[in-house]
Amino acid sequence: MSASFPTIIYEKSCGVAHVSLNRPQQLNAYSVAMRDDFAQALHAVAEDSEVGSLLITGQGRAFCAGADLSEFGTAPSQVIARNVRWQRDVWGQLLELPKPIVVAVHGYCIGSGLEIALLADVRVAAEDTVFSMPEVRLGMVPAAGGSQTLPRHAGPSRALDLLFTGRRFSAFEAMRMGLVSRTAPAQDLLGLAWGVAVRLAEVPSGLLTAMRAALRDGADLPITEALQHERRLAAATLNLDRLPETG
Amino acid sequence: MRYRKISCQITEFRAAIRLPPPSGGCTIDEDTAAELRDCCHELLFADSVRVVTVTGSGDVFATGRLRPPAEIAAAAMPDRIDWIARMGAAAAIAKLPMPTVAVLNGDATAHGLEAAMAADLRIAADTARLGMGSLPDCGFPYDGGTQRLPRLVGPGLARDMLLTGRTLSAQEALAAGLVNRVAPAEELECLAAQLAQQIESAAPVAGRYAKEAVWASGDLAIAQGLRLEADLSVILHSTEDRAEGLRSFAEKRAPQFEGR
Repeated sequence: MSASFPTIIYEKSCGVAHVSLNRPQQLNAYSVAMRDDFAQALHAVAEDSEVGSLLITGQGRAFCAGADLSEFGTAPSQVIARNVRWQRDVWGQLLELPKPIVVAVHGYCIGSGLEIALLADVRVAAEDTVFSMPEVRLGMVPAAGGSQTLPRHAGPSRALDLLFTGRRFSAFEAMRMGLVSRTAPAQDLLGLAWGVAVRLAEVPSGLLTAMRAALRDGADLPITEALQHERRLAAATLNLDRLPETG
Repeated sequence: MRYRKISCQITEFRAAIRLPPPSGGCTIDEDTAAELRDCCHELLFADSVRVVTVTGSGDVFATGRLRPPAEIAAAAMPDRIDWIARMGAAAAIAKLPMPTVAVLNGDATAHGLEAAMAADLRIAADTARLGMGSLPDCGFPYDGGTQRLPRLVGPGLARDMLLTGRTLSAQEALAAGLVNRVAPAEELECLAAQLAQQIESAAPVAGRYAKEAVWASGDLAIAQGLRLEADLSVILHSTEDRAEGLRSFAEKRAPQFEGR
C-alpha cells in the first residue's frame, strides 16, 4: 500500500511504514512542503494500528542535504518564526511517536538530515556517507533538536567540536562517536535497515512504546526516579512480553 | 591584560591564556586561581573575542591540586567553602560565553584536568597524560572533577579514574571522548591555531548560542531543551550574521561575520 505526497513516498508493508524523502534533485533538502507532508505521514504512522515500525530513507544520491535555506531563511518576523516552529512540531512528533523508528542514511547527511536521524531509535549509515553540522558557520544554530540530541549521543565536547567547526565527518567517525549504531556498504544499506524495521514490527507494539518511553524519559531523570519509571513501565507490559506464536 | 602568574594575549578575535609552569608539582596555586578568575571575568565583557585558548608552559599543561593551608582545613565550613570557591579556576573558565579550547601541551592531572574539562574542546599532544590524581595524594576534587568527568567519559571510566587515580594516555583519552584531537607534540601549536582559526571564522553569536544550548542539554529534559534551542534559533533571526550566512550560501562564497 502506498500514499502519494509531493515530497515524500509513503509505503506500508509487513507492518513497516516506509517514508522516503523524495526531492532527489535537491538532495532531499528539507523544505516547507516536505515538513507538511512529513507531519501528515507521521500522524498516519502513529494512528495506523497495522504499522509496527517506521523506516525513514532518502531517494537518490543523498539521504538529506539539510534544510532548504531558500525557504527557511525567510520568515517575516521572529514572532511568526516562533509560532511556526510549534504549529507543526515534526520533531516532537518523531520524539513522541509510540513506534520505533529506523533511519538509513547515505550520500549526504547534513544538518537537519542528521537531526532527523538523531530523533530515531536505530541509525544505520552507508559506509560512504558524509556528515556535517554547518549551521553555526551560516549564522544559525541547529533547530531540529540537534543542540539537544547531539550531546546526548556523542557527549557535549564532541557535539561542540562538530558545531563550532562544521567539519565533514565519515560514517566510521559517526559510529565511533555513537551517532550511528551500524554501517553497511551502500548496496546493502536498505536491506539491512529494512530487516531491522521488520523485526521491530513483529514485536508486540506495547513493549516498544514502553521501551521508547523508558529510554527517552529515563535519560532525563535522576537514576532513582528513572528506575521507578522503568518499574512502572515493566509492570504495565507484563502481559505483553511474549513474541506471537509462530507456525 | 597584565598578570604575574598567567598571561593573556588578545589578538583580534582570539584570547590566548597561558598557565605558569608548576611549582612543587602544582600549577594552580592561590594566586594563579585568582588571576584566572579575574581574567575570565574580564573576558565576559570582551565581545569581540570569538575563541579562548588555554595552554600550559613548557611540557606540562597543569598538574596537582593545591591542598588548603592548615588553618583553612581546620576552619569552620563556611571558610572552607570560601577557600574552595576562590580556587575555582575551572568554574570561571566554564562560565565563559564564547567557545573555549584547552590545549594540552603536556600532562593535565588533578586540578589541571579539572581546568581542562571546563573548556568546550580539548586537544592534546600525543605525549600528554590525563588523570584525576590519586585520592590520598591529591585529595577530593573541588573544581568540578566529580561532575564533569562522568559527563565526558561516562560513569564507568570516570569511577575508575576518580577512585584509583588511573591515568590515561592521550590516545586513550581520545577514544574515551575526553579529548577531541591528538597531534604529535611538535605539531600541537599548529593544530591549535588551525582550530582557533576555524572557530573564529564561524558566526560568533551563533557559536555562543550553540555552546549555551549544548551545555544546557545536560541539565534539561529534552522537551525543555528543544524549547531553549528554538528560542535561541529565533533570536538569531535578528542578527546580521544570519542574513550574511544565508547570502553567502546562496552566492557560494565564504561569509564575512561581524558578530552582530
